[in-house]
Amino acid sequence: MTTFDYLMQGFGVALQPMNLLWAFVGCTLGTAIGVLPGIGPALTITLLLPATTLLSPTSAFIIFAGILYGAMYGGSTTSILINTPGESGSMMTALEGNRMARNGRGGAALATAAIGSFVAGTIATGLLTFAAPAISELAFVFGPPEYFALTILAFTSVSAVMGASPVRGFISLFIGLALAVVGLEYNSGQARMTFGMLELMDGIQMTIVLVSLFAIGEILYVASRFNSAAPAVVPIKGKLMMSRQDWSRSWKPWLRGTFLGFPIGALPAGGSEIPTLLSYSIEKRLSKYPQEFGKGAIEGVAGPEAANNSAAAGMLVPLLTLGLPTSATAAVMLAAFQNYGLQPGPTLFTQNPELVWGLIASLYIGNTMLLVLNLPLVGLWVRLLFIPRPQLYAGILIFAMVGVWGISRSWIDLLIMGSLGSLGYLFRVYSFPIAPVLIGLILGPTTELQLRRALQISQGDPTILVSTPISAVLIVVSLLILIGPPLWSFSRRKPVSATAEDS
Amino acid sequence: MSQPQAESRPWWLGFAVILMGGLWIWGSLKLEISDRLSGLGPGAFVLIVGAALVLLGLILLWQIARGERFEPEDTEDALADAPVSYPALASVGLAVFLPALIMPYLGFPITGMISFMLIAWALGSKKVPMNLAIGAVLSAFAWYGFTNLGVQLGAFFPFAG
Repeated sequence: MTTFDYLMQGFGVALQPMNLLWAFVGCTLGTAIGVLPGIGPALTITLLLPATTLLSPTSAFIIFAGILYGAMYGGSTTSILINTPGESGSMMTALEGNRMARNGRGGAALATAAIGSFVAGTIATGLLTFAAPAISELAFVFGPPEYFALTILAFTSVSAVMGASPVRGFISLFIGLALAVVGLEYNSGQARMTFGMLELMDGIQMTIVLVSLFAIGEILYVASRFNSAAPAVVPIKGKLMMSRQDWSRSWKPWLRGTFLGFPIGALPAGGSEIPTLLSYSIEKRLSKYPQEFGKGAIEGVAGPEAANNSAAAGMLVPLLTLGLPTSATAAVMLAAFQNYGLQPGPTLFTQNPELVWGLIASLYIGNTMLLVLNLPLVGLWVRLLFIPRPQLYAGILIFAMVGVWGISRSWIDLLIMGSLGSLGYLFRVYSFPIAPVLIGLILGPTTELQLRRALQISQGDPTILVSTPISAVLIVVSLLILIGPPLWSFSRRKPVSATAEDS
Repeated sequence: MSQPQAESRPWWLGFAVILMGGLWIWGSLKLEISDRLSGLGPGAFVLIVGAALVLLGLILLWQIARGERFEPEDTEDALADAPVSYPALASVGLAVFLPALIMPYLGFPITGMISFMLIAWALGSKKVPMNLAIGAVLSAFAWYGFTNLGVQLGAFFPFAG
């Protein structure tokens, strides 16, 4: 079967009435959480994990895909109308989009953001459709040394890039790895770091960690420094349409944003911030109207929005083909796969084609749904901003407790929730990134397993870890990410001190 | 260049990371059986993680000594430079930790109701009866919905037998 045949098979799954309904649920929820503050796609998927266990994995992932894309659409609405990015990838949209809204061009800003998101999402899903199977074929040549090297690359890139400093990123990562070793060791059956507690023998549940770090940490942080000022929404003047000039100024930024966002989103720690930032600066440089930037240039909305949505699709490439999460949302989706006993990677395409292709097909459908849902219903989405914050955050805690208490009805789980929630609070206060904790927790067992397998093959010889070209390249790239930036800054500092001595 | 004040240097962060690393090293040393084929025993990975945390803790202390800045994050509903409200923090802390004590005895709906009220109070909503009522309805709704979805949340009123 060709990729096209598989895709058609996927559409057969995604177009089933129930799956269409789940796609609609996911898109609606995603847009809502994109609009609402404090709730991101990672937290929403986490809170939904217990509720989706009764669904088939395909239906659950169709909801999750809708949430992922919907959050990107919703984020642009708040950026444009209240100058508050609902998602980090919408920061650049806020810069120009809110200015446009203040100038009475909010309708055009919302339209270029929505249509750009649709164009980018569709093209990027097309790229995912054809790139993912090819990369997954490549992954079949991966053995334990390559997989070990790949996890090391994920660790170094995510930890070095995210957060205020690489040291804090690595501390986050190793806290995640430390939590990952808690429980029975699969090889010897020995209890590790359980402190004699039977409840910890199965390890610390991923759902508890996710809920605690995202939801509880956020509630504690918001409560400690609550900004009670009501959002100032700029009213939308005119129709939600673009003029001929708006179209001609938007289509190129959409395409550039798409092709910028997809590859960067697929890179470990690429995320959506870097491509949107790059897209903005490229559009500013290429625009025929550079003087409008900072005052409401439509290119500054069109490009970054396209890049943002394209990056979301790019993120799915390493996740589906290699089982490699490159962001917090991807880490949560990987945890969701593991919840169903599935391991993303090359075998997922051969063993669960219905799931993978149904998921990919649902991205096309979800994208179309979001375009229809977003523009005409923008007034409804804006009303979500007026949900009182005290009740909103209190409601989040109720759903967080469902996820934690529902695992095994253990008071220890609730205690861990409180403790890790406090850790999440400290992470926010002292600018430690959360994503490396999740990636350490999720990939830690895989890293240990692949390291042990590799050393078993070589009978304890560690040189096996760099014995193949792929593993050697991955390890070298990891080392460059690790030591490159400090060496670079050191080499740049030297001439300055020399100049100072000369003077 | 002006140096940050001593109290703005969170030394305890570095020491906490070192302490955690030390705990993991200690835990690894209690695991003695090794895998002869790979040479990697069950404690090896734990030891690596513990040692890395100790090393990173030391680097963090060094950075703190050099004046590394630790600034809170600005989010949509929280102002990084706003003064910390300790009563609000305590109220949310209570809402988060109290369930571990009362959930097994009072059940999900009542616990949820109390936690809901505490969080709403922390975020400025002082209408206690109204928040208790909303919390009760939302918790009961969540209990009913999720129990029907197959999530085991225990009895509605465990104390009622």
